[in-house]
This record gives sequence, C-alpha cells and structure tokens, in this order.
Amino acid sequence: MAELVGIYAASHGPLIARDWHRLSDALKGRLSAAYGELGRRLSASAAEVIVGLAPDHWTNFFLDNLPSLCIGIGEEHGGPPEPYMRDFTPKALTGDPELGRHILETALTSEFEPALSYRLRLDHGLCLPLSRMKLPRMPRIVPILINELEPPMLSYRRCFAWGGLLRRAIASYAKPARVAILATGGLSHSIGEPTMGEIDEDFDRRCLDALARGEESELIDLLERGAGRAGNGAHEIRNWAVAHAAAGGRGFELLDYLPAPEVYVGCAYAAWRLA
Amino acid sequence: MRDYWLSKLCFDLLEPARAREYRQDREAVLKRYPLKPEVRAAVLDDDVAFLARLINPYLLRFYFSAVGMPDADFIARLRAADPNPRPAARRG
Repeated sequence: MAELVGIYAASHGPLIARDWHRLSDALKGRLSAAYGELGRRLSASAAEVIVGLAPDHWTNFFLDNLPSLCIGIGEEHGGPPEPYMRDFTPKALTGDPELGRHILETALTSEFEPALSYRLRLDHGLCLPLSRMKLPRMPRIVPILINELEPPMLSYRRCFAWGGLLRRAIASYAKPARVAILATGGLSHSIGEPTMGEIDEDFDRRCLDALARGEESELIDLLERGAGRAGNGAHEIRNWAVAHAAAGGRGFELLDYLPAPEVYVGCAYAAWRLA
Repeated sequence: MRDYWLSKLCFDLLEPARAREYRQDREAVLKRYPLKPEVRAAVLDDDVAFLARLINPYLLRFYFSAVGMPDADFIARLRAADPNPRPAARRG
C-alpha cells in the first residue's frame, strides 16, 4: 500500500529565479533557508513520488482548452520553458503513470472529472520550489495542475473536496510507494493588476493562522471571502487548501513567512501534520 | 470576456523566438492576428490601461515583459489607470 509521508507547501515567483542576483542578501538568506528546510524534510521523508499541486502559467493550456484540473499520467514531463529557468535540471522529470492513473480513476469514480495529460510541461510554479529545495535525488512526479489564473475557477469548497479525494486515492493505491504532496503558489500577490508589488500581509497572516489551527469551515469562509481581494496570485492558495484537506486538516507547522515586495509575493513555507 | 486574438498574440509571445521576432518587427507579426482596429492601435501605442481590460492580467504582464517594458513602468501605467484599487496593502 502507498503511504503518505509528507505534505508541504512553498510559494513561488519568477523573480526568485530571474532576479536572484539582484535580491538583498537578507532576502536570499531567508528564502534559501525556507526552501532548504523543505528540501531537507522532503528528503528525510524518503518520498519516492511527489504529487505536485501547481497552477499552469499559460504553459500547457490557453483559452482554447482550459481544464479546471489536469493530472499528468505520463512517463515523463517536460521541464520549465521559461528562459530564466534554463539552469533547471533535470530537463525532463520522471512521472509515475500508475499512481497518476489511479488518482484519475479514483476521481472519475467519485465526484470529479479531471483532464489528463501524458506529457505536461512543468513551469516555474512547480520547478522553482523543486530547484531551490536542492533535493539530492528528484522523486517521480505526478503533477496536478489547477486552473488558478483564469476565472471561473474551482471553489475553495471543491478544493477541500479534491484534497480529501487525493488522500483517499493515495491511501487506496495498492502498490508500495512513499508519496509526498507539494503544494506551490500564493500567498497574496498581484500579477498584471494595479496592485502588482503589493502584499496583503494581514490576509496572509489570518490565512496562515487558520491553516495552523486546521479549522476547515473557518478556512473556507476566509478564502472564499478574502482570497479574491488579496490579488489574483492569491488564487494559488487553492493548492494550499487541497494540501490541507489531503492532510486531514490537522494543522501545519509554518516554517517561514516573508512579505517580500521585492519578488511581488507574500512568501510562505509550511509542513502539515500527518496522523 | 476576453479578447481572444489579443490573448493569442500575448500567449504566442511566451515563446522566446516569437518574442524576438516581435521586438524586431511588430507590424509583420501583428498581420497574423485579426485584431480589432482599436485593439491593434492600443498594442502599437503600448496602451496598458486599454489592453488591461481585454485580457488575463498574467498574459498582460507577460506581453509587456516580452516587449521590454520595465516592471516599474508597467506598474505605474496600471496604477495610473486605476489609482485606488485596494485599501491597505504593503507596497513594494
């Protein structure tokens, strides 16, 4: 049977890669420490597979065809296409077709109908945290892309339901596998909006406080009411909601939170409590 | 509602080679997209405020990044078009 060995979350942002050399030493130090601690924990968990929850930054999908949810069930996925991610290795990431397909089939026999892909390109959303975590060995990846850029999107209530389904799917996977979940994105930030560069620190801290306590209905209420006003990048907190539900809502340990206008993002890093 | 062809232009320019071609000859690239006249004019004028109403904000940001507009300039133009979008946030 598969075992859920860790659930983590990390913010991402293009400037953390593109402008790294321009960031202050203090900010680079905090960011490196947070990503590094997540990498250390993920390595210590001996995870063989990472289920990666991320948005798609117009990398795989466009207005022609824009799934709310898409599961990568291929043997391999492409690395990030962004020029500022050119140093990312490996250039292609090994998938886990059997686990991906099991999650998909579990969803289709339950209350979700995700799209599928045999080869996704994984952009900075997932690959920036993976890169900064400096993992000694890259686990297999089952990417799950959630539409968090173009409305309408999954409600937060549905994200919690999706997280519960993900937990059940991993628990019911018959093959032995150590599985971790990595949610990326958020917290508050704005891209291409007049508030670009602003961070809603108050919202972020209320959000983190509710996540730490684990109270699901409070979180859903806060996110449904507040996330839309914390910048369009805050839609990515959906990944945190999925992770929270997958962890069974037991709360989490906040590793760091940095409101970082230099990279336009309220950056947060966390590990959920399991069992 | 989104302007499909403007969105498609911005999406296509995510490809670095296409963005290079666009920077060298905007008119030639624009001929491939059936943009409405007022949209085409706004593109040629780098009219951030006008275009912001028509496409996804991420695509808008990608587009102006691809054409080489510095973020500070881009953000200033966005704010000029909507000077008070949200109360009390930490500004970078």
